[in-house]
Amino acid sequence: MQRMASESRRSQMLRGVLDLCLLAVVLDEPAYGYEMTKRLREQGLSTVGEGSIYPLLGRLERDGLVATHRAASDGGPPRKYYRASPSGRRALAEGIRAWRDVRGEVDSVLASIEAEVA
Amino acid sequence: MNAYVEECRREWKRLGVPPGLAEEMGAELEADLAEAEADGVSAAEMLGESDPRRFAATWARERGLVAEGSPRKSRKGLWIVVAVVFVLMVFFVVALSGLALATGGGSNASVRVGTPVRIKPVTVPNLIGLGVCKAIRVADRANISVSAPQGSPCDAVVVGQRPAPRVVVPANAKNAVVTVKLRRPGG
Repeated sequence: MQRMASESRRSQMLRGVLDLCLLAVVLDEPAYGYEMTKRLREQGLSTVGEGSIYPLLGRLERDGLVATHRAASDGGPPRKYYRASPSGRRALAEGIRAWRDVRGEVDSVLASIEAEVA
Repeated sequence: MNAYVEECRREWKRLGVPPGLAEEMGAELEADLAEAEADGVSAAEMLGESDPRRFAATWARERGLVAEGSPRKSRKGLWIVVAVVFVLMVFFVVALSGLALATGGGSNASVRVGTPVRIKPVTVPNLIGLGVCKAIRVADRANISVSAPQGSPCDAVVVGQRPAPRVVVPANAKNAVVTVKLRRPGG
């Protein structure tokens, strides 16, 4: 029960910043959907949580924060590649600033009781 | 072909996603799922959503390919609007019928329920001492009729009247008629 609640909280927290993580992994090099989940996993974000990256990619595409193109993959079918657009880069920079502010504020509240929880 | 992807395609078609875009999304999903399976990652693990229809609808909505509500919901909303309009119409018809019954029905109903005609009162003039013809003219100016014996000559003089002078009566009432008593010349 407690684990479920913990996963739900993690999922909710991730939902607010997952778009930033997606923009981050296609900032320098384009990637297709599954390739993006692999990059996230390689960088430590193993479980995306409920929902998937596709609706989020759809929103980023609709808002012009990612540019897309189709290209052949290694031996497989053509894939849809995503990369951060100039607007996406700006949104990422602003999002990282907001995330760091929030993280700092939350840390300053929670840091004092961290030892008790541990 | 992946059953999950097929279910998504059906949902996109149902939602009215343009076929070209639905095919693009289906192909993207199919290729990614195939690669994930080759890596030992299940579709559920990769997508985090076990209901393909919900997943497909969410993706299409986030891409701006369908409106916020599904067509099924829109139809439901339409039915609610139709039902409300119908109920209002029934209420209106019943109310109108009730009103017609209460006022006696027929075309006179509108006259009856309209603003009542206000009857302007008039003051009975003093006709005593006047010749009957002059008395009739004076009374006429006051919207009052004079009832005098037939064949009375103009020089017959009014010696009495009912109602009495200065009595206030409704202009169109029966008593807006002044009955006069005459004295014939030489009588």
